[in-house]
Amino acid sequence: MPKQKLAMVIDSTNCLDCKGCMAACKVANNVPDGEWRNWIKGSDPQRRAGKPVVFQPGNCMQCDKPTCVTACPTGATYKNEADGTVVINRTLCIGCGQCLAACPYGARFKNKDLGVADKCDFCAERRALGLEPACVSTCPTKSRKFGDLNDPSSEVAKLMKSGKPVQIANEKTKTDPNIYYLGETGPADWTVAAKMPDAFDFWRGLADPVVKVVVGLSGLGVLAMLGKQLIMPKDAPPEEHKDRKEAGHE
Amino acid sequence: MPSPSEFRVSRRGFLKLSGAATAAAALGGSGHLTPVKTAQAGTKLESGFESKFTVCDMCFNKCSAIARVVDGKVQKLDPNPKFLKSRGMLCAKGNAGVRQLYDPNRLKYPLLRVGARGEGKWKRISWSEALDLAAEKMKAIGQKYTRCGFMFMAGADMQSTYVHRFAKAYGSYNTLSHESQCLIAGTRAFLDTFGEVPIPDMLFAKYCLMMGANRFESLVTPDSIDMMTAMKQDMKLVVMDPRYTKTAAKAHEYYPIKPHSDMAVMLAIAHVLIKEGLYDQEFVAQKTYGIEQLSKHVEQYTPEWAAGESDVPAEAIVKIARELGAAKPAAMVYPGRRSSNYKDSTQVRRSFAIVNALLGNWDRPGGLTAARMVGLAGGVPLEEPFYENNPPDRIDAGKATLMFPEEGSFKLARDAVLEGKPYPVKGFFCYHSNPMQTVANRAKTVEMFNGMDFVMVMDVAMSDTAYMADLVLPSQSYLERLDPCSAQQGSSACACVVMRDPVVKPMFEAKPALWVMQELAGRLELGKHFDFTVEDFRKAQLKGLPGALEALKKDGVYYNPSKLYGVYEGKIYKTKTHKIELYNERYAEMGVDPMPVYKKHEEPGANRFRLVVGRNAIITQSSSTSNSLLMQFQADNALWLNPKPAKELGIEDGDWVKVQSPAGQQWIKAKVTDMTRPDTVYMDTGFGVLSKQLAIHGKGACIAEVLVDDFDRISGNMAMHETFVTVSKEAA
Repeated sequence: MPKQKLAMVIDSTNCLDCKGCMAACKVANNVPDGEWRNWIKGSDPQRRAGKPVVFQPGNCMQCDKPTCVTACPTGATYKNEADGTVVINRTLCIGCGQCLAACPYGARFKNKDLGVADKCDFCAERRALGLEPACVSTCPTKSRKFGDLNDPSSEVAKLMKSGKPVQIANEKTKTDPNIYYLGETGPADWTVAAKMPDAFDFWRGLADPVVKVVVGLSGLGVLAMLGKQLIMPKDAPPEEHKDRKEAGHE
Repeated sequence: MPSPSEFRVSRRGFLKLSGAATAAAALGGSGHLTPVKTAQAGTKLESGFESKFTVCDMCFNKCSAIARVVDGKVQKLDPNPKFLKSRGMLCAKGNAGVRQLYDPNRLKYPLLRVGARGEGKWKRISWSEALDLAAEKMKAIGQKYTRCGFMFMAGADMQSTYVHRFAKAYGSYNTLSHESQCLIAGTRAFLDTFGEVPIPDMLFAKYCLMMGANRFESLVTPDSIDMMTAMKQDMKLVVMDPRYTKTAAKAHEYYPIKPHSDMAVMLAIAHVLIKEGLYDQEFVAQKTYGIEQLSKHVEQYTPEWAAGESDVPAEAIVKIARELGAAKPAAMVYPGRRSSNYKDSTQVRRSFAIVNALLGNWDRPGGLTAARMVGLAGGVPLEEPFYENNPPDRIDAGKATLMFPEEGSFKLARDAVLEGKPYPVKGFFCYHSNPMQTVANRAKTVEMFNGMDFVMVMDVAMSDTAYMADLVLPSQSYLERLDPCSAQQGSSACACVVMRDPVVKPMFEAKPALWVMQELAGRLELGKHFDFTVEDFRKAQLKGLPGALEALKKDGVYYNPSKLYGVYEGKIYKTKTHKIELYNERYAEMGVDPMPVYKKHEEPGANRFRLVVGRNAIITQSSSTSNSLLMQFQADNALWLNPKPAKELGIEDGDWVKVQSPAGQQWIKAKVTDMTRPDTVYMDTGFGVLSKQLAIHGKGACIAEVLVDDFDRISGNMAMHETFVTVSKEAA
């Protein structure tokens, strides 16, 4: 099977900020109360004369250069080579939280029911059953389009050619995201520079990268856990995570 | 230990309900990238889940949806892509329907009040005890006060038809619906202009002026979705609203109009259209009545004058009128839905209707379309019994000029009940409606219930109205129900039929309305009027539509490919003059202004504000605010207050303030924002509940407590925006 490059192409100007995508995602993925896998930015518009306000739907950008993958000490977070999504192996995840800080989009959170990192996976379970991601199928104005950019006949591939797609990126952390926005994006100043776990670079250097995943649970995992306790104050969520949640609550 | 299949269910579904949260968490890592194949071969999990059609009941729109069911539990509700009226979408509320079904606070058993009314003390009783008691009370009240002494109210529900049928069989004329809190002024106005209520053809409009409506937040299908599509096809949207709604935020032009001045702007638009000859002269000459009278009438209403009334600049009014004229007939003034605003709301909406008539957009693409033929019949006919000793009419009869006899006016009926005139009403049955939260002046509703011998409420949750009842009956959630068919109008989207089959087994002791009505009818010797099943009823409804049942089973919807435009070609209009009435002859005969006359309104003046109410896309008045998913978006309401008066009053964003009107007072958090005018404050509906059995209890403030209960003099619709309040920051 040819490699896929799954992506979303979003027309923010269609978005009504109705929260349909957020509610659909929550139910489809059993996301705990108060936590969200997706969002709509700019929900509390200020009066803006003469030009329609733009709300901006989004979720994990399934980046091609994912900082979260680099930050993960156990290999639980990795790039799925078959379809391009960034996924979390919950068995390997130790819940250290490093990936949360490493994401410039605040797309990740620690699932309070499961104790592991969580985020959008383009609804892998629904896709396996032949359904579109929940946010895409439910959207009233079809602001969100989903598909394989490697398939020239897909709607997203066509939209990429017909429109002027843009990525939302942080100046300091360029991750080559796979969510593209058509035309006006709405707010673009909300990303943060990724906070990479410096201390781990040293440990990572010592470990053979091939062995990393295998030893992740037993060896590095424990070290990582210790490292987290040393480096981060306990229970302090990374800042961008907090911002994202607030955006969802508006 | 759960079996693998149970694990799958619990992980994808409701952890709390299944009680398998721990197991799920422990096993949560597998299957993330793989298809759902953890179950044994041969089970339905091989394909993930069963898909069953349903019809959403989270608001009145009735969108067709698909329930994904695993082992008898609804895991997810998805839109039905074949349902054109919703354009294949399911909104946030629709998605949250799962949480209504599995709400731990749901009513589970019949409850009898044991404490004082409204105290919230209940005793669980059996259905047979409950039905015996209800029948006994209905019999006693009917005998003592006549059968009209028992009042019936039913919400916008697919089984409300059975409640109204029961009222007729029992012999009470006193039936109410939600409509007199909502839309009857607009209905009246368009009926009295076009002879019917139009469906806007938003998808093909080139220009839309929206006033008194918030279609990007208060979602109406297909209008809300089609409005966005139309905008992408270069439709221009102009919004006038005292509040900067999300509809205003998405509009090309927005004007913060002074409340209650919509008619001034509309009459000035008519003035420009006529003066500059921009109206559709051929259409008006052929199909309308009264252009001479109207031309003369609107001479006085200049844009300059209207600007003084409305704060919409005269140049803007002229420009909008010219743009409407240029874009006609694919141009419209959006008719709107909720019109429970002012004492003259019918006349306000008449002015909307008249401008549409001048644009000649009736029955044409991009304008206002007539109802299309659906072909759904009325169901099993009722032979209405006659009771000799009944009074001649409804209790609220004659209290407004042109009321709808089936809908009545809750406000006027309540006044009459409180007065005890012209006759006493001492019994009340309310099904799936919540007047305690939605009808202005809650204190009066409480007083009405306190004067009743017997109040019975049937609903899914313990609403504030249920909280006031003597007997509370648990209703099935829509996902558990077998319901009759429902016809829907969607202009270019559809003329269609939907129906609702149960997707899961009923939980607890919840029952459908038909069963309750049948049981009561049996006890009151009225059984012959309810000698049918829902299937029989559907069959009677669908008798003229061969193939419809098969389509409903296959696609979840039946479409009648009926005529969309030109429905009125060669036909007369259902008005007195058989034309579209710019000038209404019937009104003239009844002493009502035959054309809308703008009257100076009282203004809030110093230190007072006009209170307006509304909602956003996650609120369906009080029926959605306790939903545990939707509460994550919004768990209280706030009072929108402009920064200028806020500064004068020393109020800062987030401060607790007291909102007081002649009707009552509430404490609420202030949201200081320039998204409302300095003379207008705003609150969302659905908060400040009294019922301690709702999750939202203790959060936000209740509109019904502070709204003054005025009414539209023609239709009897509630007039909620005639309320002036003071806002103060005092120690609680």
